[in-house]
Amino acid sequence: MSMNSFVFRNQTVESFFGDDGVTYSGYDDISIVPQDVDRYIWFYQVPVNADTRQLSQELGSYIDKLNLVLSQVTDDKPFVIFSLVNLFPLKFSGEDTAVSDAIDEFNHHAVKLSKERPNVKWVDFSEFTNRYDAELLVNWKFYHLSQMLLNPKLASDFGAWWKRVDREMSLNRKKCLILDLDNTLWGGILGEDGIDGIKLGGDYPGNVYQRWQHSLLQLSKNGIILAICSKNNENDVIEAWENNPNMVLKREHFSSVRINWQDKVSNIRDIADELNIGLDSMVFIDDNPTECELVRQLLPQVVVPDFPQKPYLLMPFFKSLVDDYFRIYAVTDEDRTKTEQYRANAIRNSHQARFSDIEDFLKSLAMEVDIIPVNDHNLPRIAQMTQKTNQFNLTTRRYTEADVQQRINQGWRIYCMNVKDRFGDNGITGTIFLEPFDDSTMAIDTFLLSCRILGKGIEDVFIRTVLNQLRKEGINKVTADYLKTAKNQQTADFYDRLGMSCTHTGDDGSKHYEMMLHEDLTIKNYYNIKLL
Amino acid sequence: MEEKVLEIMKEVFEMDAVTTDVSQKNCERWDSLHHLTLASELEDAFDIELEPEEIGQMTDFARVMEILKTKV
Repeated sequence: MSMNSFVFRNQTVESFFGDDGVTYSGYDDISIVPQDVDRYIWFYQVPVNADTRQLSQELGSYIDKLNLVLSQVTDDKPFVIFSLVNLFPLKFSGEDTAVSDAIDEFNHHAVKLSKERPNVKWVDFSEFTNRYDAELLVNWKFYHLSQMLLNPKLASDFGAWWKRVDREMSLNRKKCLILDLDNTLWGGILGEDGIDGIKLGGDYPGNVYQRWQHSLLQLSKNGIILAICSKNNENDVIEAWENNPNMVLKREHFSSVRINWQDKVSNIRDIADELNIGLDSMVFIDDNPTECELVRQLLPQVVVPDFPQKPYLLMPFFKSLVDDYFRIYAVTDEDRTKTEQYRANAIRNSHQARFSDIEDFLKSLAMEVDIIPVNDHNLPRIAQMTQKTNQFNLTTRRYTEADVQQRINQGWRIYCMNVKDRFGDNGITGTIFLEPFDDSTMAIDTFLLSCRILGKGIEDVFIRTVLNQLRKEGINKVTADYLKTAKNQQTADFYDRLGMSCTHTGDDGSKHYEMMLHEDLTIKNYYNIKLL
Repeated sequence: MEEKVLEIMKEVFEMDAVTTDVSQKNCERWDSLHHLTLASELEDAFDIELEPEEIGQMTDFARVMEILKTKV
């Protein structure tokens, strides 16, 4: 079964998940949550930052980002969260635990989510990283060449590990437990022994059956669907539910009930249809080995464990059911107490910005956008960006430093852009080239942003600020082009969204635009913009 | 050595065949990510360390060979 996954990431992790059925968010970009995928993977790395206070704040923001993304994901799509692992644990003193605390907090939050939401799964990434020495885990050369901290040489190891974890996750989780009644939920046969004759509660073996029922009730409280499939008279059973005082599991605890004399295979199929879940997410429990074998033969997708020979073995049997089929994720008591502690800490730390939607999130970043005309210092970076930027690049025209210099001499307007937010300075990450056409018209020759800055609305701020400035200087018309490449699909309608009119569409997918600059283009008020 | 390098490129770029005129310009799969995979594979295959500057210069087959020859 092939599955389309979407990976939220903040570093280059393509080597680890590949490109077969996998697409990736921009770097640290949560603005797009595609709906046409089968599952989501959250795989963030701890950034390298010697400012441990700032780093811990950034890590804290991942919780908010994750929540924001999850609020846009439906419960029927698996959402896998990798735990954060610090591959570069830098501490200035023994008491400097800000970063490790923030990492713990994120990881406990992820565990908590996996308990609260049935589709969320938590993967302990340290299970993989613990196998390697620190120097093998990190490749500093590739990190600085390509924002990839985790050593790409571990990619095939990672692939094998992830495949196993992935398989275990999907195999382990069953959704529904179908139970027989006589000699399964109680001792004896209801039709023969009567409501008060069945063994339930009191001394052995009744006490075991009651404890077993109580345990199954806890399973149901943990999100597992219970169902009944029994050959019995339905009225006898209803009477037992209503009148046997030791009965723990009653009608309301079962989502689907088949009490009749039909064969169990048909009944199980019916239950699957009624609950609208696959046979492969069901476990069937019956004390009768013949019934068990029949179901195994005819419905091989259904798991049919061997029922214990002795009633006193029901508790270990229950535990093995939980371990083998129903564990969502192992959470120890210690984890649970820790989660409580972290919740308390989180409340104490509530001075930190919390946000509930993307606008709030963007506001919380306190972004400062500097728009700078080309100069001797930034010219090499501008040329380099035209060479390297593929994704958010409207025309993908490549320029050398000499090319740029030549265009400056020809009177082009060239700006670059620098973005800072409360997590740091991203440096120069965008550029625009404008070619003068006549006194009142300019053509946008190049407009690009580095992919690590996307998802924050910066592209709009940048172009709008520049166009407003041109208007102030007497330019009343701009033209622009979108030139299609294999990589720049995401910019195909950028100028349309900006409000430009498309005047020509080429056979190759290219588009030509015009726009009159009658009035200032609006810009969201939460950016602190400086045009230098 | 040439053959080994071509073989590695074939694997990395997932192509049926790679010829000695392959370059970043004419090979769509030779993007920045596959570039690093290529560097990593070459390092392993020839048991060498490539410097970032060298990796940056490896823009076509001929230059890859030039750099490798100084190393092996």
